[in-house]
Amino acid sequence: MVGNKATATAVKLARVQVASAFPVTPQTTITEYLSDMVANGELDAEFVNVEGELSSQVVVQAASRVGARTFVCTSGPGQLYMHHPMHQTSDNRLPVVMATVHRGNKGMMPDHTDLMSQLWTGWMQFYVEHNQEALDTCLMAYKIAEDERVRLPLVFGYDGYVLSYTAEPVEIPDQDEVDDWLPPYKAMPSILPDEVLPENLGGGSGGGDPQERWKKHHEAIVNAKDVIIEVNESYGKTFGHSYGNGLIEEYRTEDAEAVLVAMGSLTGTARAAIDRLQDDGLNVGLVKLKCFLPFPKEDFQKIGKKVGAIGMIDRNVCLGHGGAAYTQIRNAIYDLEERPSVLEFYAGMGGKEVRVDDVYKVGEKTLKAAKSGGVSTSTEWV
Amino acid sequence: MIGIRIHGRGGQGAVTASRLLADASYRDGKFSQAIPMYGTERRGAPLVAYVRIDDVRVRERELVHEPDVVIVLDPLLSKKQSVASGLKKGGLLILNSSLPPEKVEIAGDIKIATVDATKIALETLKLPITNTAILGAFSKSVGYPTMESIEKSIRNQFPGRVGEMNIAAIHQSYEEVTPAVQATHTEPVVEESDIAVGGYGVLKDVSSWRVFTPIIDLDKCTGCRACWLFCPETAIQWKDNRPEIEYHKCKGCGICVEECPVKCIAFERVVA
Amino acid sequence: MQIPLEELTITPGSACQGCGAALAARLAFKAIGPNAIRHRVPCCPDSTTAHPSASSVFESGGAMLTGTWRGLKAIGRTDVQVVGFFGDGGTYDIGLQSLSAAAERNENIWVITKDNEAYMNTGNQRSGATPIFARTSTTPVGSVTKGKQMRKKQIAKIFAAHGIPYLATASVGYPEDLIAKINYGKTVKGFKMLIIQSPCPVGWRYDGSKTIEMARLGVQTGIWPLYEIIDGEKLKLNYKPRELKPVTEYLKPQARFRHLTDDNISLIQEETAKEWETLLKSDELGRVLL
Repeated sequence: MVGNKATATAVKLARVQVASAFPVTPQTTITEYLSDMVANGELDAEFVNVEGELSSQVVVQAASRVGARTFVCTSGPGQLYMHHPMHQTSDNRLPVVMATVHRGNKGMMPDHTDLMSQLWTGWMQFYVEHNQEALDTCLMAYKIAEDERVRLPLVFGYDGYVLSYTAEPVEIPDQDEVDDWLPPYKAMPSILPDEVLPENLGGGSGGGDPQERWKKHHEAIVNAKDVIIEVNESYGKTFGHSYGNGLIEEYRTEDAEAVLVAMGSLTGTARAAIDRLQDDGLNVGLVKLKCFLPFPKEDFQKIGKKVGAIGMIDRNVCLGHGGAAYTQIRNAIYDLEERPSVLEFYAGMGGKEVRVDDVYKVGEKTLKAAKSGGVSTSTEWV
Repeated sequence: MIGIRIHGRGGQGAVTASRLLADASYRDGKFSQAIPMYGTERRGAPLVAYVRIDDVRVRERELVHEPDVVIVLDPLLSKKQSVASGLKKGGLLILNSSLPPEKVEIAGDIKIATVDATKIALETLKLPITNTAILGAFSKSVGYPTMESIEKSIRNQFPGRVGEMNIAAIHQSYEEVTPAVQATHTEPVVEESDIAVGGYGVLKDVSSWRVFTPIIDLDKCTGCRACWLFCPETAIQWKDNRPEIEYHKCKGCGICVEECPVKCIAFERVVA
Repeated sequence: MQIPLEELTITPGSACQGCGAALAARLAFKAIGPNAIRHRVPCCPDSTTAHPSASSVFESGGAMLTGTWRGLKAIGRTDVQVVGFFGDGGTYDIGLQSLSAAAERNENIWVITKDNEAYMNTGNQRSGATPIFARTSTTPVGSVTKGKQMRKKQIAKIFAAHGIPYLATASVGYPEDLIAKINYGKTVKGFKMLIIQSPCPVGWRYDGSKTIEMARLGVQTGIWPLYEIIDGEKLKLNYKPRELKPVTEYLKPQARFRHLTDDNISLIQEETAKEWETLLKSDELGRVLL
């Protein structure tokens, strides 16, 4: 099953009620799978074919507000076009779920700059490694976003082409089990005329302390970590798949002197490289960074205490500033008394192929930094 | 440094007054800052603007919360206790009012000067726009900016005949403003509502927006409902087949007065 | 026709004195009734009404109404009406793309436009709805150009061309007509649009007490004809005087037109007369002539 089919299947299993999208490569086939499902009666949903991504975001925003479970998906340029209303969706605390099939901001091929360009929109962000995880993450996303302790939109991204159009086996959970695990969604507070609270008639005055709204929103994302961990665990118990602690996953880090950190499909290639490194007696482990927002700061502090160097492989760059994950990891370990080296590697930008050999070399370099002692920094384009 | 707050209404030119004051002060060799009310301005709605004048460049960006001087452009707002809120002890209140300062019912350890700026504006500009006229009173009461600088600022802002009319207004108000006297009223009047400044959404009371007030002569009313039908604010209720004005909702637009086919609604100016 | 006494507005609102749009909202929602969700995009504060309400980004009116309607359908609440009350900016300009798409999909929604012919919320900048030669803060009267140099966008014709089931123009000067049109639209399933001319005393520069007079003159001079179009085809003129008043009666009291030359006025008069002829013919034939 290709990644886009895995996502569409999860949308069906979640009994999404309103979905909307504008076709954009490499997300396009999701819109086709969903159209087929609705046309064949497999999915009882309103699928709104809109004239652009901005409208697709607003359609699901409005539908979520009246109490429908919603899904929207996009890629690269569509993601950028959708930026403006993404702020309203999160400000209104609407649990919209979105799939971003990564396409970089330079050309058609994937990197994470499309989604990283949305860091300020107040959404939770997950990065997915393989097609099974796309399906599982989509289902978990509804449970996390709709949790009354969270009520925030969530976007999960996976690399275009590399996953979207690559076929691999995917286990599909039973609909009955999903129905038991994922209860129906209800809007809070209701905006139906017969249910709306009198004080909310007229849409409110927009008064109050605006900074307080920012503060609450920020706290809600930070506090969502507990729910993410909980949902990952419960999904694992019910369906047999879970992903580390839900935020990060450690791979062969026992006694590792250094770790690499990867996101998205690059993680799989990195696993293969780690196996080879360890076969060759080089003690390098791997951390998969799945949940980028809220950023798992505490997890990286624990890892930072264990190892001598962290090599971050970013598939994004904030131009003139640095990789998004790299800067966050360095920020996290600053609080430690003894800090490991943190090295920056840019890889896979604009869809440039990343080979196992490439990651092997990154592992060697990171281990060298760990062994040399002291804190070193370097930036390298792989 | 002195801080100044100006009260006016949307359309009366409070922002222009603040800029002229700041500009004239700069011409006098001082530094200044004119701050408009942040947000949107609505025609008729009370609003505020602020000015700071100092010998050195003004750095702070907060609003003027404790002014040394308060200027009130509007005769109705000049009756409100709340225009004195935050005014420093011994501070000066310059009111557009036909009353002598001793008769003004605004309390506090403050000084009050009055000038009938509306009368001056009607005589010089033929319009009740008081934003320039009041500047002459300010110059006289505070001692600066100089009248020469205010003239230059006005000529710069309003070239030609309009500027000369405004200059006539500032000279007249310079002559006619009363000396500032200690406020004699001791008990602050408890007001039904604060001055409602503009903004979005639903407001509590817009009585302070009105310059003219509609008064219905029910004896002449034929019960046609035109006044009720066309009121944008539902200020006219229809009860027992008769109109009844809810004055806290009336902004004084005058549509009911215009639309009444038997002309039974008077539009009366409330003067200070 | 009896105009409902019940008021659905929550007043006093924050509109300017004599605001035509505040009256448009009051009258329109009287007719819509309480069982509705009202949506907003950025615009002047007209009248707040006692409806659940939400706002989204300026450019998204059509999508917002679509999402609300589809969501209601999904949860089985098709009894609730979905109403967008937007300004001319949100309809003619920044919101046109999303509204056009919603019209093409024939979503079961109401789009009510209070047309005050410029971006009044930000202080009277020109919009696609600003009439030719009108002075705004971005089409000033200068030594080189005087006022707007382009014609008003014919938004009704644009939406009629989408073949929507119901489209009508209205004016705050003719409340019975306005309310009758909403009452009729309520019986129609699909995309319904009502464009209400809403005079703005601040932007058009006339005294606020004359708002209704301006609105009436707009209709009586043929500048703002009242008509309705069913299914993008059948046209009916709702106000047909024996003779139109000259456009100067409408133009003269508004200072936004004070700089107009005789040639300017003649041009407006000619074009108004020509359009009126077309409408009369359409009315006679019972179908739209573009």
